[in-house]
Amino acid sequence: MTMGKVLDPTSTRDDDVASPGPDAGVLAGKRIGIRVDNIWRAWDWISGDWAAKLEQAGATVSLWRGYGRSGEDADRLDRELREWLKGIDVAIIGLANCGSCTGWTVRDAIAAASTGLPTVAVATENFRAFAHEIAARGGRSGLRVHVLPYPLNELEQVQVMAVAEQHFGPLLETMGASLEQREAAE
Amino acid sequence: MSIIKIKASTTKVAPVPQPLISRDCGPAGCEVDWLVSRRHEADLDFEGFNAFAMEKGWGDGLPLVPPTESRVRMFLAENDRYPDEVIAHLPPSRAECTVEKIAINAVMAGAQPESLELLIAMVAAISDPDFELYGINTTTAPVYPAFIVNGPIRDQLAIPYSYGCFGGVATRANAIGRALRLIMRNVAGQVAGVTSQTTFGSPGRLASIVAGEWEEKSPWAPLAERRAGISGNAVSCFGTMGTMNVLDTTSQAPRDFLEQIGKSVPYVAANCYTPAMPFAEMMVALNPICAEIVGREMPNIEDVQECLWHYASVPADLLQRQHREQLEAQGRVREDGRIYATPEPKDFILFVAGGLGGLHATAFHSFGSCLTQTRGIASPIPASEMQAAE
Repeated sequence: MTMGKVLDPTSTRDDDVASPGPDAGVLAGKRIGIRVDNIWRAWDWISGDWAAKLEQAGATVSLWRGYGRSGEDADRLDRELREWLKGIDVAIIGLANCGSCTGWTVRDAIAAASTGLPTVAVATENFRAFAHEIAARGGRSGLRVHVLPYPLNELEQVQVMAVAEQHFGPLLETMGASLEQREAAE
Repeated sequence: MSIIKIKASTTKVAPVPQPLISRDCGPAGCEVDWLVSRRHEADLDFEGFNAFAMEKGWGDGLPLVPPTESRVRMFLAENDRYPDEVIAHLPPSRAECTVEKIAINAVMAGAQPESLELLIAMVAAISDPDFELYGINTTTAPVYPAFIVNGPIRDQLAIPYSYGCFGGVATRANAIGRALRLIMRNVAGQVAGVTSQTTFGSPGRLASIVAGEWEEKSPWAPLAERRAGISGNAVSCFGTMGTMNVLDTTSQAPRDFLEQIGKSVPYVAANCYTPAMPFAEMMVALNPICAEIVGREMPNIEDVQECLWHYASVPADLLQRQHREQLEAQGRVREDGRIYATPEPKDFILFVAGGLGGLHATAFHSFGSCLTQTRGIASPIPASEMQAAE
């Protein structure tokens, strides 16, 4: 055995925000943003269902579709994202249901959380650990991640809508949110 | 919606290669302790170090050279870069990729010191936001960057451009691709099952593809010159899903060859037809025999691109309904009822390489969002020349 010193080939970032960020609180009267994508129809269905529930509770909802990751498209996307974040009070960012789309979801969620908005990323079960890992590597280990069952996009619409129904309450819990003051007090 | 054309980002600063000023220090001049990486006490014997490196998560499973201080110093001493120079921040971790980290990983991979400037250009290329390394490093796809080298550095580093140039030929240049892969692992943090969700991966994720263009056999200007106006040493990186062989034992006329290639490359489950990506490029290597035949009739490469593009499409009704509907909604079905592999002919990236046996072309499908990047490779200006100029 010949002992000696070797140099570490790895590089890591040191900064981290371990806080989950502010609770979303009472949602009635607030502007809720839901980020959708161009891949997962199941996420479109769930977002539509949750948007209806939130609006019924007195919130206003805006959907923003993240699509295009390079070139002029990326320039447009960055501008749109910044503007969209300025116009909302709470961000729901999905869907982490593949490798790159988990990366993009978490990246946009970190962008939202970094502005101080109450933010939750939405992932499917298979990508739960990955979403947390990418969030930590992105300097935001405390990012809230709400987890939906997997596989999801492979389900029939009626099954997906059942998931939306089952997960609306738990989503609010993850966000630290309630629909109205009275309900929060209970 | 309508066809989204591929245009480079306009918000980024155009990269300008910086001239290097030779330090002419030699190994003795580099004794100052510039190296800031953490030191680890390790067994330097073959078995011991490789077990240590695997435990640390530094390796790819193949034998590694221990990156001792002396080896890293020697590597740097033969170059003209300061080790603390930050070349890029690589996603997903956005960690700093310094010259020192490049050198350490290059030593581990067995790359030669002469490869440093090429490696730096490769890192700079993949870190361009338009290359979308964030998606490449995290995706379920098997995508990896493939590199095409132009200029005299091709021969100086024994980068293959003829027989077996995309894999299998014995050359130390293979270590350059491996070094880049180790950088992507150890600095960018691309680890399968942890940060990378690649379902199957690819043999190209071990040592990548680092090939040269056979410029002397090409009827057209070198790839880097055509893409970025760079004559001389340059590297182009393309985010590929892998190599796809196209065989043609029958064609004689130039357009017949191109028809065979063009019709072969589109298939319905290629990334160029996923709704997840608004567009994709396509790279094709023409063998020298085919290139000569095509070049005689088509001295302008834009005509070759146009011809290939024309054939590289599928009828929309070849796709299952739910797939077709997504692309229809995105406006990607054209008036002729077809879906083209790339938005425009210019998005076919062509170069000449391969053995003289001909018969085959190689197509490289793109991941989609990663746009091909070309970078010049810096070369040092000797200090004596700088002094004379002053």
